[in-house]
Amino acid sequence: MAAHDSEGSILVFAQFQSKVDEGFWHRLSSLKLNKLGIDDSPIPITGFYAPWSHPQVPNNLTLLAQSLPTELSEQSSTAATSHGNRNRCPVQGTLYNMNTIESFHALDKKNLLKEEAKKIWDDMHTGKAVEDSALLSRFLLISFADLKNWTFHYWFAFPALVLDPPATLVDLRRASEYFSLEEAESVSAACNEWRNSSFTAEVPFFLVSIDPNSQATVKHLKDWETCQSDGHKLLFGFYDPCHLPNNPGWPLRNFLALICVRWSLKSVRFLCYRENRGFADLGLSLVGEALITVSQGWREHQCLPNAVGWEHNKGRQVSRCINLAKSMDPTRLAISAADLNLKLMRWRALPSLNLDALSSIKCLLLGAGTLGCQVARMLLAWGVRKITLLDNGRVAMSNPLRQSLYTLDDCLNGGEFKATAAVKSLTRIFPAVDAEGIVMAIPMPGHPVPNHEEDSVLEDCRRLHDLIDSHDAVFLLTDTRESRWLPTLLCANTNKITITAALGFDSFLVMRHGAGPFSSNHDFRAEAANALSAIGNVARIDSDGRQRLGCYFCNDVIAPIDSTANRTLDQQCTVTRPGLAPIASALAVELLVGILHHPQGIFADGEVANSSSNGSSEQPLGILPHQIRGSLSQFSQMMLVGHSSNSCTACSSTVVSEYQERGMEFIIQAINHPTYLEDLTGLTELMKSASSFNLDWDNETDLEEDDDCVQV
Amino acid sequence: MDILSWDGTLSSGDFRLAACAFMQKWKSVMSAFPPWSWVPCPKQPWGASASHDVEGYLSLENIILRSIEEEHDEISCPQKEETSCSEKEELIDIATLVQSNCSKVPYYDLHIIYSASYRVPVLFFRAYYSDGEPLGFNAIEKDLPAHSAKALLDSKWTFITQEEHPYLNRPWFKLHPCGTSEWMKLLFHVDVSVAKNGVTIELYLLSWLSVVGQVVGLRIPLEMLNQP
Repeated sequence: MAAHDSEGSILVFAQFQSKVDEGFWHRLSSLKLNKLGIDDSPIPITGFYAPWSHPQVPNNLTLLAQSLPTELSEQSSTAATSHGNRNRCPVQGTLYNMNTIESFHALDKKNLLKEEAKKIWDDMHTGKAVEDSALLSRFLLISFADLKNWTFHYWFAFPALVLDPPATLVDLRRASEYFSLEEAESVSAACNEWRNSSFTAEVPFFLVSIDPNSQATVKHLKDWETCQSDGHKLLFGFYDPCHLPNNPGWPLRNFLALICVRWSLKSVRFLCYRENRGFADLGLSLVGEALITVSQGWREHQCLPNAVGWEHNKGRQVSRCINLAKSMDPTRLAISAADLNLKLMRWRALPSLNLDALSSIKCLLLGAGTLGCQVARMLLAWGVRKITLLDNGRVAMSNPLRQSLYTLDDCLNGGEFKATAAVKSLTRIFPAVDAEGIVMAIPMPGHPVPNHEEDSVLEDCRRLHDLIDSHDAVFLLTDTRESRWLPTLLCANTNKITITAALGFDSFLVMRHGAGPFSSNHDFRAEAANALSAIGNVARIDSDGRQRLGCYFCNDVIAPIDSTANRTLDQQCTVTRPGLAPIASALAVELLVGILHHPQGIFADGEVANSSSNGSSEQPLGILPHQIRGSLSQFSQMMLVGHSSNSCTACSSTVVSEYQERGMEFIIQAINHPTYLEDLTGLTELMKSASSFNLDWDNETDLEEDDDCVQV
Repeated sequence: MDILSWDGTLSSGDFRLAACAFMQKWKSVMSAFPPWSWVPCPKQPWGASASHDVEGYLSLENIILRSIEEEHDEISCPQKEETSCSEKEELIDIATLVQSNCSKVPYYDLHIIYSASYRVPVLFFRAYYSDGEPLGFNAIEKDLPAHSAKALLDSKWTFITQEEHPYLNRPWFKLHPCGTSEWMKLLFHVDVSVAKNGVTIELYLLSWLSVVGQVVGLRIPLEMLNQP
């Protein structure tokens, strides 16, 4: 609106603008959860504002955490107004926090505004507003806190009584242009004093009285009568949060209404008090003259004038909405903290860390026992998000001690299925994990299948095939040798990263299986080469001229059978020193991470030490072994390299191609007749010829005495 | 303090001293900004948390770091279900100025908090728009002046994490302190006046802030760093 019109133009006010500090929503959520529950009665709150002091941006009516009553207070019926200071003048308000979005929308806004306006109107008539002028800026807030999505819908109203007809503006100019130099100096000084005194700093409405000597004093509103009788020049001053050069701020509306009601003035000279860097600035402050022409009837107490004041949102009269999930949703916070932790590791120690590979890899854990639980946790720590656990057992009473995902509750009532309990536990640890549990037994050779169960076993085989197909890395963490056979075969068939961990009483083995027989770094050339390769016991060579690394069974000279008589690793009744499982599990996961960061991945050679004979440059994560055999009784670890065996019952090309040709029929045959595998791979022949020639076994496939081994 | 043997850190008592000196210097030189204030904190009853003898931190709140004339991307607020006043509910009021421009000016709160475990100050900060809506880190990054601040963020010396504010129990952004002592040592090695006069505690926070402040686009003029 025009600044220097001498003809009255309508006095147009700039609306209050709201600001809600994040802390307010945090506090409201906590209040709602802990104290209020579904109680939606109005809550007294305190807003804060101050004279404008920022360049070019208005000062807002601000809500902070301390705007809400404290949860422990008995004075919950009155808003705490003692938190102000000179930059936070407290203003009373009322909060209507609803329980549903529907009730939020359905609130009778016109009525609420009217009720709040009535409070102000009453205070004007009773004189309370003169005593405590901050009451003129009472406000209203309606809200709905969606605590599932951490979204807050809200809307402020700053009730202003509408003058009818509206006030007209006679004059509006900078205060420095209105006052004489002497007056200006005196007014500044007086205002600064007012603002610096703890008694008056929070009083947002005041009188400025200027005596004939140009000396100004700032007085409380209740001193009006005395000021009036003095006959001095008098201005009505108020803290103006607005920054605009041609419009006064919102508090002036109710101020004018008060002046009209209490003192029946027709012409009001006002001072929009604004500051710069904490001091009165009369160049920014405005002085104007308003004419009030309301009828006598308007001023009657019982006739409540109309009120306006719902806050505009980008020019429209609509509510606002803010989403604070990023800073309030515990799951989001956990995710961001976990991500940051890994990023920190990358930043400080390992710039080549491939966090994307880790977060996108899908891991299948066969076995959810001591090894399975620990591996799962380690994977989580490395940022792996997709974990599937397969186990057909239930949690037994002795399990929680060694199987770190279970507690006593999982053992009750016969015990939960391990796969299910593990998933629940992982989700409790880190809600963003994508964990799945499969309750299923792994078909095993040496455990023949009765006819009536054949179909379900076939089904399990197919299911296992599909599971392995749909994951990127498979951990073999079961407690018997024979249960590892089928997964090994299936992994060799699909060339998946396969990591085996097996425990003895005080020793462990952790190894990564080599690539399958029909794969190489160069597509399918090996397949052709292998098809032509010599019959014999030479270890399979791929087209790169390198040997495939072996699998768990490559060193065997007997097929996997029922191993209860076997006294090495993987006894059915596994008795192990408790320290073994965590060590082995940790190594298994670190081995996986090593594979993921190695340029050749599953095809990487097995390394035993950082020796220069290796040829390849050092990887940032260190060496990538093939097999780690550890002994707790020696507190030692040994790294070995074993190459694939042509007679391997699980990963040799003979076996894998049989599977590819005959599928489940082959599997069932192998399960029901373990010697079938030995016959197929030629192991039977081998043993016959060995026993007849008294061959030294050590020269065959075992490489224990090779240079490749290093005691660590 | 001998520059050669100094490790770039300071004790909590020194932090308090440095803070006082810093607040004074700031008032005189950075008059365009409001002054820093010291926020005292009650000792946590359950024992040592963030610090022992330092019972507070430096705070500078509600500041605008960028000039308004700079272009701001109009970040569209998601128009979720809004409740509105139909015209018959609220009269059109000719005395209300309708301002339709949504000036998305970010405000910053900066806290300087002493870390007892790293023995260095740590910058905690957050940003929000004038209506209180907080800025995520991507938005803060976009808000930074285009040049060197970005380089600083990518450097090996700076790393921004989101962590619980030690006193306010809400997530704030912070500049990770683990590189601080290293580059503080470097900084003081390079400064010729320090080589002459030795390391003075009073200069610590100024020098430190001249580096970390750039992360939020706060630039401290050189004259502030000279001895009076």
